[in-house]
Amino acid sequence: MESILPGAVALALATAYLIVLLRVENQNTILALLGVGIAAVLVANWLGWLAPVGRSFGEREDVLGLLAIVAAIVVASYFHEDHFVLLLLCTVLLYTVATLGLNVQFGYAGVLNFAGASFFGIGAYTAAVLNQHTAIPHLIVLLIGGLMAALIGCLLLLPVLRTRGHYAAVVTIAFALLLKTFLEVNDVLGGPQGLQVRSMNVLGWSFNNNIEIGGLRLSFYTSYFATSLLILIGAFVLVRRLERSWIGLNLDALRLDETAAGCFGLNIVRWKVTAFLLGNFLIGIAGTLQGMVVGFVQPNNYTFADSLIFVSILLLGGIGNPWGVAVATVIVVIVPEKLQVIQEYRFLLYAALVMMVLLFRPEGLLPRPVRSYFPGWRP
Amino acid sequence: MDLGFLAQYVMNGLMLGMMYALVAVGFTLFFGVLDVIKFSHGDVLTVGAFTGLATFIGLRAASIDSNALQLLAMLIASIGAMAILGAVIARAFILPLRYAPALNTLLITLMLGTVLREMVRLFYPDGANPKPFPRLLPADSVSIGNFNLRLDNAIMLTAGVLVIVGLQLLLNRTKLGLAIRAVAQDEETAKTMGVNFNLIVLITFAIGSGLAAFAGVMNGLYYNEINFGIGLYLGVVGFSAAIVGGLGNIYGAILGGFLFAALQTIGAVSLPFASAYKDVFAFGVVIAIMAWRPTGLIPEKLSERV
Amino acid sequence: MTRKPAEDSTKFAPVLAARGLTKRFGGVLAIDHLDLEVAQGEILGLIGPNGSGKTTFFNVVTGIYGADSGSVTFGGADITQASPQAVYHAGISRTFQRSRLSLPLSIFDNIMIGNHKRLNQRLWFNLIRRDAFKREYESSFHEARALVEVFDPPLANRMFEAVVGLPMIDRRRIEICRALISQPKLLLLDEPSAGMTHDETTQLMNDILEVRDRIPGLTIVIVEHEMGVIERSTDRCVVLNFGRKISEGTFTKIAADRQVQEAYLGLQ
Repeated sequence: MESILPGAVALALATAYLIVLLRVENQNTILALLGVGIAAVLVANWLGWLAPVGRSFGEREDVLGLLAIVAAIVVASYFHEDHFVLLLLCTVLLYTVATLGLNVQFGYAGVLNFAGASFFGIGAYTAAVLNQHTAIPHLIVLLIGGLMAALIGCLLLLPVLRTRGHYAAVVTIAFALLLKTFLEVNDVLGGPQGLQVRSMNVLGWSFNNNIEIGGLRLSFYTSYFATSLLILIGAFVLVRRLERSWIGLNLDALRLDETAAGCFGLNIVRWKVTAFLLGNFLIGIAGTLQGMVVGFVQPNNYTFADSLIFVSILLLGGIGNPWGVAVATVIVVIVPEKLQVIQEYRFLLYAALVMMVLLFRPEGLLPRPVRSYFPGWRP
Repeated sequence: MDLGFLAQYVMNGLMLGMMYALVAVGFTLFFGVLDVIKFSHGDVLTVGAFTGLATFIGLRAASIDSNALQLLAMLIASIGAMAILGAVIARAFILPLRYAPALNTLLITLMLGTVLREMVRLFYPDGANPKPFPRLLPADSVSIGNFNLRLDNAIMLTAGVLVIVGLQLLLNRTKLGLAIRAVAQDEETAKTMGVNFNLIVLITFAIGSGLAAFAGVMNGLYYNEINFGIGLYLGVVGFSAAIVGGLGNIYGAILGGFLFAALQTIGAVSLPFASAYKDVFAFGVVIAIMAWRPTGLIPEKLSERV
Repeated sequence: MTRKPAEDSTKFAPVLAARGLTKRFGGVLAIDHLDLEVAQGEILGLIGPNGSGKTTFFNVVTGIYGADSGSVTFGGADITQASPQAVYHAGISRTFQRSRLSLPLSIFDNIMIGNHKRLNQRLWFNLIRRDAFKREYESSFHEARALVEVFDPPLANRMFEAVVGLPMIDRRRIEICRALISQPKLLLLDEPSAGMTHDETTQLMNDILEVRDRIPGLTIVIVEHEMGVIERSTDRCVVLNFGRKISEGTFTKIAADRQVQEAYLGLQ
């Protein structure tokens, strides 16, 4: 119980803070709130209060994970009528899923992918086309969107496998630019204007209708929020189990020293392919649902700059740490939406912020701890 | 296909190739002295082009109307400013990360490129939209059959050749060039021979970035339009050209630049109906070449020790 | 070490044999028609001046470099063209001249990298069957811990600490544990004394010999500059110079060899 407490307290404070931040509209108040938030974290760090929080998340992730789900539901219930906030929360959840996918590729296996937004977009375009022209159940469409992203990613397998470091980087950058140009000039996929995406419909339940239970009215985004949350839970558990297994160890080994890993029997190609495809699959699923949530797709939403946002989230949060990814996504997605003065400048600000992180704290806000296969296990 | 058209395509290809080669040479110079890839190189080109444009607008406002004078001032301002920017980038972001993982240099220069690109987009007046670039070279043309040799293109091509020859002379015939080559060969030996390592690195980055500025102005004069994304495009293609030529090899980089332009031109000739897809094709070629010969046609020296 | 020296190794079936092995780098012959045999169960010292081809030999045997000509057989099977992965699966493991541990990972993780072939690598097993995974994990943990305990008991209580914070001697120990955990038939040690003091090296060699007695039939080839180590721990030595074998025999024999002295003193 003792080790749960610091994590639970931190989670409760963060939830309360998030609700207040999302509630406030006045720009000066938001600015003040953000200042208070940053100051509070710095002071807590200085007083040494953050270390126990990290420890309790490390040791009692089972309980705190459940509490985090409860916290997300609390925030969503508080804003149950507010379309804008719920849409924002869906975006946070789905960006977290996508960045978890990127984390498998880049954080664990060291396979660079600067085309994250492109694979996200492939999912969204899949949703647009399939929902429009076929009667495939939408939950299956989610799966197909993920598979499409993985499949199209296969085009890059050969160059990505045969290259390392900066060479692989330029391949994925070229792909990001290629895909955006392709979507822009291709009339079948709507050109620069893009396509409408039909909203989700599961077993006759249309996600486009507001929900009335008794006298309680819920925004139609509640259904999307619930679906996004379920996908995030699945992705989180999957990525966590992957890291805490021999496979996670394989990926780390090949990232850190390919030659040495090969000398201990590791099949480099097999694990790079596994990481790349699995990562793209997660990014693709998140993108598919995001397409349905937003209701339209267009090339401008899936640019190289957007791909760099995913990379920024990963670097800010702490490469390899799923909790870091979640925290960084909340910051990166919500702050520019609330603080409208910086909305236009977000790419610039995040790029500059990541440069500072790389120079002064390369391990990120929440550094990845040493692997523990079964937290709390003692020999 | 008649010969005039063909000549036209060749001319276009040569112009493209010259721009790619100038960018690729920068990549290769940086890789030579520090074994790093500076992903912000293309965006330095963008900033260079916009610096040139701003200089022109300033001069016009000051009622200096001589085209030659405008062009000269534009080149000096753009190349000078980018040389300084290049050296500052090396000093502030690349040298401090020399002993960090190579990935960090890659990421920081990638993010720096975004910062530069976004600054142009956000802070240059109406920078999000394409800007017209002045036509400062004589636009006369000589017609040979169906082929229209435009004087401005010929001048730019000649200038490009002169710049590359100049660079060759600098590297091969001067003390500075000797020092750069010494550092590229072996840092430790160069240091013991009394070469000021940091200074040479900064100078090399200044030279490479100056070349990018030159290519940026050339790009503007050729298309009569620039936008904040040109550098990203030219950076990716230029880097690929440098890789194809074997990183660290200047002749290889030049060759790679022209090779890419040739492939692109051939693509445009053979698929005229798909002209909208020419950029898609260009990036496809980049990916295909990386899959085919990931370390270049002229292999780079194998450096890993086991 | 006072083991009975295998004076004439050809009497035994060699576990590892190189025939006419040649490796070129550009114009340089790093290994030049090398014939070399390692007998089952022996400790062979591979010595020679810098650049004489010792590490290159390891790299060719383990499949990091392909040979230009000649052959390598291991336990009778041809492994000349085998990949590093196949060489490891056949039962050869190695350490590196420059320590090549994965520094951010824990001691346990680093050792498990060496245990690759004995761990279940299926996705289903790793991701879904967590109870079965946990059993394999626990038994592997106890095995790794017992191995570390041989080298340094206090270290065995720090299995989940990152390697980056450990001193050189401990890193060497973990590298050797990583190579031994899969119970190889042949262990290639590339300069285990590099970066360590004389006493540390002695200690390390004693530990290795202790482990050898627990792994029946383990054969060891050791590349080393520290002649004290070679003298005390090897049964037999092979001396290389410019990629060629110039002498072979017990340490006392090769130490008396005029050609070897010349190679070391540079009298040519």
